[in-house]
Amino acid sequence: MQKTLVIQRYNPEQDHKPHPQHFTVPCDDSTSVLDALLYIQQQLDPTLAFRWSCRMAICGSCGVMVNGIPKLGCKTFLRDYKDDITVEALAHFATEKDLISDMSVFLTHLQAVKPYLINHDTRPQPHQQTPKQLAKYAKFSNCINCGLCYSACPQFGLNPAFLGPAALTLAQRYNLDSRDQGKAQRMPQLNGKNGVWGCTFVGFCSDVCPKQLDPAAAVNQGKVASAADFVIGIFKP
Amino acid sequence: MTQPTRSDEPIWWALFSAGGVCFAVLIPGLILTLAIAYPLGLLPENALDYAQIRQWLFSDYWGLAGLVLVGAGLCLPLFHAMHRVHHGMHDLMLRAGGWGKVLCYGSASLLSVLALYFWYLGLSAS
Ligand code: SF4
Ligand code: FES
Repeated sequence: MQKTLVIQRYNPEQDHKPHPQHFTVPCDDSTSVLDALLYIQQQLDPTLAFRWSCRMAICGSCGVMVNGIPKLGCKTFLRDYKDDITVEALAHFATEKDLISDMSVFLTHLQAVKPYLINHDTRPQPHQQTPKQLAKYAKFSNCINCGLCYSACPQFGLNPAFLGPAALTLAQRYNLDSRDQGKAQRMPQLNGKNGVWGCTFVGFCSDVCPKQLDPAAAVNQGKVASAADFVIGIFKP
Repeated sequence: MTQPTRSDEPIWWALFSAGGVCFAVLIPGLILTLAIAYPLGLLPENALDYAQIRQWLFSDYWGLAGLVLVGAGLCLPLFHAMHRVHHGMHDLMLRAGGWGKVLCYGSASLLSVLALYFWYLGLSAS
C-alpha cells in the first residue's frame, strides 16, 4: 500500500511563507504518521524537520496537525485516512521549521500556575493519601504536555496570553490534591481574565487530548473555584 | 511574575449560569404549555383565564409567582443571552472593549429593571 502525505514545509532562512510538498510513502496497517515522517526523512528528504522521541504517546513531542486536527504523530495511523493526508506544524504556535513549533509560550503558561506540590511540611515521612483523595485529581494527572489542546483552543488562538487548557488543568490537578497547600498561590493566576475566565467552554481541547484528561471539565471546575474565591474575597479582602 | 487583576467575570458568569438553567427548564415548559398545549386544546378552555392568572401572578403570596416568572423567565435569560453576545463579539474579533460590556450587560439590566417595574405596576394595581 502507498499513501501521499502533503507536508507543509517552512525554512525560515529561505522561505517567505510555508508551502506544501507531496511525498508518497509505503505503508501498512501499522504505519503511523510518525513512521511515515521518519521514512521520508531517512529515504526521501533528510532536510525534513520534526520532533519525536518515545513513539508511544508518552513524551508528547510529536504533535502535528493532521488534516487540520491536532494529533500525536505516533498515535495516528495512515490506515484511518482514505485520501491524501496533510501534515502541518501545530496551529496557534509560531513555526520554527517545517513541523517544529515554538512551544515556549506554552511552557511559560505552565510555569505560571506552579504545577508542582507545594507543601511546607518538612518532616521526612510520606504524605499519605486515601484512594478517595487520589480519585479527586487522578483523572487530571496524566498530562504529557503535548500542547494539542492549545492548538485546538480558539481562545488561545485569539489571545496567546490566555493560560490555556493544560496549564489550567494542571492548576486544578494540584489544587485538588490533599497533600498540596499551594492553592492560595495559584488562585490569583486563575482569577484573572487570562485565567479560567478566558475559556468559553468550546470543549475541543477535550476532544483532541490524547490522554483523555478532559481539560474543559477541569477549567470549568476552576471557574467554580474562582467564583467561590471571588465571593470569599468580598467578605475577606 | 506579576499578579493579574481579579476578573469581574464571576458575576456575569453566575448570572449566565442561572439564566442557562432557566433557559433549559422554565422556558421550554412555558413554550410547551402556552405556545403548544393550549393552542392545541390540550388544556381546559379557561386555563389561561385572565382574572385567574392575574390573581396567581400578582395577588397570591404577595405576587411571588409573578416575581419568579419575571426573574426566571426574563431577567436571568436576558443576562444569559447577552453574556453569549458579549463573548461572541470577542470571538468575531469585534474589539469593543469596555463599551461592549456596558452595551451587553447594560441592556440586560435595563430590560430587567423594566420587567420588574411592570411586575411592580401589576402588584400595586391588584
Ligand atoms: S491536557 Fe491533554 S492535550 Fe493538553 S497538553 Fe495535556 S495531554 Fe496534551
Ligand atoms: S513520539 Fe512521544 S508522544 Fe509521540
